[in-house]
Amino acid sequence: MHNIFGGLATGVIYSLVALSLVIIWQSTHVLNFAQGAMAMFATYIGMTEIDRGIGYWWCVIISVVVGMALGGLTERVLIRPLYGKPEINPIVVMVGFLGVLEALAAAIWTSTTRNITEPFSQIYYQDHGHLVFLSAFIVFQILLAIGIMLLVAALFRFTKLGLQLRASALAPEVSRLLGIRVGRMLTIGWMLSAGVGAIAAVIVASGNFGLFPTDMDGIFVAGFIAAAVGGLESPIGAVAGGLLIGLAEQFILAYWSPNVAPLGGIIILVLALMIRPQGLFSKSVSRRV
Amino acid sequence: MIKVEDLSVNYGAVRALREVDFDAPTGQITAVLGANGAGKTTLLRTISGLVKPQRGGVHLDETNLVGMATENIARLGVGHVPEGRGVIEELTVEENLRLGALSAKVNLADGLNEQYERFPILGERRKRHCSTLSGGERQMLAMARALIARPRVLLLDEPSLGLAPQVTAQLMRTIRELCETDDLTVLLVEQNAKSALRIAHRAVVLHLGSVVANGDAQGVADDDDLRRYYLGVVVS
Amino acid sequence: MNWWRGLPRQETTNSRVAAVAALTVLTLFVTFFLPPVADSELAGGAAIAIVILGLSWLTGWSGQISLGNSGFMAVGAYAAGIWAHHHAATPLVFTLLLALVAGGISGLVIAIPSTRLRGPYLAGMTLAFSAAVTPLAQNFTSVTGGEGGIFLNSLVTPKWFEHLFHGANASINANAQWTADLAVVVAGVMFFFMANLFHSRAGRSMRLVRDNDVAAELMGVHLARTRTMAFVVSAAFAGVGGALYSLLEASVRPETFPLTLSITLLTLMVLGGIGTLSGAVIGGIIYSFSANLVSHVNSLTGVNPTSNLGANMQGIIFGVLLILTMLFAPRGIVSLSSPLRRLWRARRPLSVTQEVQ
Repeated sequence: MHNIFGGLATGVIYSLVALSLVIIWQSTHVLNFAQGAMAMFATYIGMTEIDRGIGYWWCVIISVVVGMALGGLTERVLIRPLYGKPEINPIVVMVGFLGVLEALAAAIWTSTTRNITEPFSQIYYQDHGHLVFLSAFIVFQILLAIGIMLLVAALFRFTKLGLQLRASALAPEVSRLLGIRVGRMLTIGWMLSAGVGAIAAVIVASGNFGLFPTDMDGIFVAGFIAAAVGGLESPIGAVAGGLLIGLAEQFILAYWSPNVAPLGGIIILVLALMIRPQGLFSKSVSRRV
Repeated sequence: MIKVEDLSVNYGAVRALREVDFDAPTGQITAVLGANGAGKTTLLRTISGLVKPQRGGVHLDETNLVGMATENIARLGVGHVPEGRGVIEELTVEENLRLGALSAKVNLADGLNEQYERFPILGERRKRHCSTLSGGERQMLAMARALIARPRVLLLDEPSLGLAPQVTAQLMRTIRELCETDDLTVLLVEQNAKSALRIAHRAVVLHLGSVVANGDAQGVADDDDLRRYYLGVVVS
Repeated sequence: MNWWRGLPRQETTNSRVAAVAALTVLTLFVTFFLPPVADSELAGGAAIAIVILGLSWLTGWSGQISLGNSGFMAVGAYAAGIWAHHHAATPLVFTLLLALVAGGISGLVIAIPSTRLRGPYLAGMTLAFSAAVTPLAQNFTSVTGGEGGIFLNSLVTPKWFEHLFHGANASINANAQWTADLAVVVAGVMFFFMANLFHSRAGRSMRLVRDNDVAAELMGVHLARTRTMAFVVSAAFAGVGGALYSLLEASVRPETFPLTLSITLLTLMVLGGIGTLSGAVIGGIIYSFSANLVSHVNSLTGVNPTSNLGANMQGIIFGVLLILTMLFAPRGIVSLSSPLRRLWRARRPLSVTQEVQ
């Protein structure tokens, strides 16, 4: 039982990253490979503010806001010039940005882990002789992830903004002919995506191990795989994918060997490819630039 | 009224438009004719701001359009139905229409009703994804999407492309009606000169980027030399 | 749009192969005039150049982006390291061959899921691989020696070579020289192989698959097999480079092959120019200078090298370099050699598709 909670807890983090990728994909048809690093950076800024005595929730808010600002800024400065160029360019630029952000974070805030204490109290209970930490935080995390998932789904399905975001990604030229400010939509897409990603990093920072500059690498990979497997167009699929990977890792850790745990995501990816041997969503990726 | 003044556009070494100069009067249909590669599509794209001209100007009444962003030109009331129609396949019919209505200050429900009345088949298919629509249906959707915004100007790029003759005829009648009832200024690019000239008030003929004829539609239709040299054998 | 459209074509003739030989000899010659520190840096650059070459083959010639080549380096390095640790007397050639095979096998394994993926998905898959390598190396302590890694005996200088050196630090200098020369020779050999590969039927098939896979299939080219072969070769090269690199460092540790190394490789490849022999050479040279470059930047900006900022300066510089290169010179720094022409082209008031405003 505690395995399930543990798996869900990490799974939620992956789901949030996956959701941020769904957002950015639906809005811009670009995938932000620096998403994890940006979230980490924003969270570090938020954590620094905690030193000034502000509360946990303010830290969260600041991290998310900084994350959104960082996302918007990145779009305007780094991604906008690449508009119309081959689709691989933004990926490479973001990979470079990832390197910069991680090195910069390590440079500014030391290479040791930082963490923040979660605001919820812990509850214990016994399960088969194991002591289970049923932290209210984990429940909160799960509810949060589901809540965000619903918001994201609603955004793209029902709202005017969502429709404009989707149109801007699917057919930017036609959208402009219809009067849609495509540039603004792209920036908004990046901002929303980065905001959701930042929440993931905040949760990591609140955990037992805290946040380390390179931590988000593995998390980004898992989130990426979750989004790819679950469907870049489907918030529900992304969340399901993330939870699945989290659970898979936990069970590998518990029942097979902790050494193999880093491969959890890859295993899921390979399994998914075996089920869909024609490749994942090759249609939607290769079609449009 | 749309005034095109001395417009020149180059794609690298290729001169797509050379000092193109003509007026499209308000409330009338101006046909833009010519063979493939004459520069007709480039002309529309330049008016819409997708292409920047090297020289010259485009005025919508008093406003200079050159240098404006495409989305802002659209918001001024210029509706452009591009070559290929530009129907967004991954969205439903209704979503495409909603998109059209978004940037215009129109009541969505009224707008939708109006277009569904005008094009009943769209109403039937409103929740369907556009990949399932036929060519004629897509053309109707593209038109409806442009019209729902209540534009003052309509730029149509080869609307009859790929459509059967009866459908084309119906389409042209619809365009003429719209022009009269809504007082639209229409720029109608067509390779099918015959059907265009039937409904147009004025006509401009392009050849390799230059204007070779500019006058009222009947005059252009009656001119045998023009037909033979520039408009192809389709006209009879 | 295919991002590889703009890549230069490599016309290899016998003269190109001769050029590889000439460059190798020239570099060997140069090593004799360099101080030992520079020789070590050169050696490192040579090892990295081999890896870049393999990456170039994969990304430039078969059009498959890979963020995972640091992982392949690790495989080769660990294979060589584990073997050499237990069998110290193995000749270098054998160790490197082992690394090549190990790398190739890991390339094969990774290729199986990867060759069906494109663009971002492929990047993600390879990213997953290289991100997993360091934790895996740390976890499987019994095999890999965990955090501490494996010690390798440094390459032994033969007596006849040592006798060429005199003076107080003769044996150290001789050693630095010898290892550098070894590295250059190995690099020369690998470059020779690649020069031939570029021009073989395999190379042509790969370009065909890259540019138009539908046409390639119609012509009877087996898509998956070609793409897999590209991965195998690329990983084999990375394995050799990684093993060489570790031999030069005399140890294999999990931190030697982090994800950021993949980023560095990508940066160097793009800077040098994707898909060419010369590009890999340029990349290797830049790498050799990077330590100097970093300390120069540190001293210019007054940063203490032992501070956090100083220690991470390399990561920052390479990341920024990659970004700048992709934004302004995606064809490699060579394309900047006619800056005036490029400026002029950018000024032309022509846009078929308008920039998003």
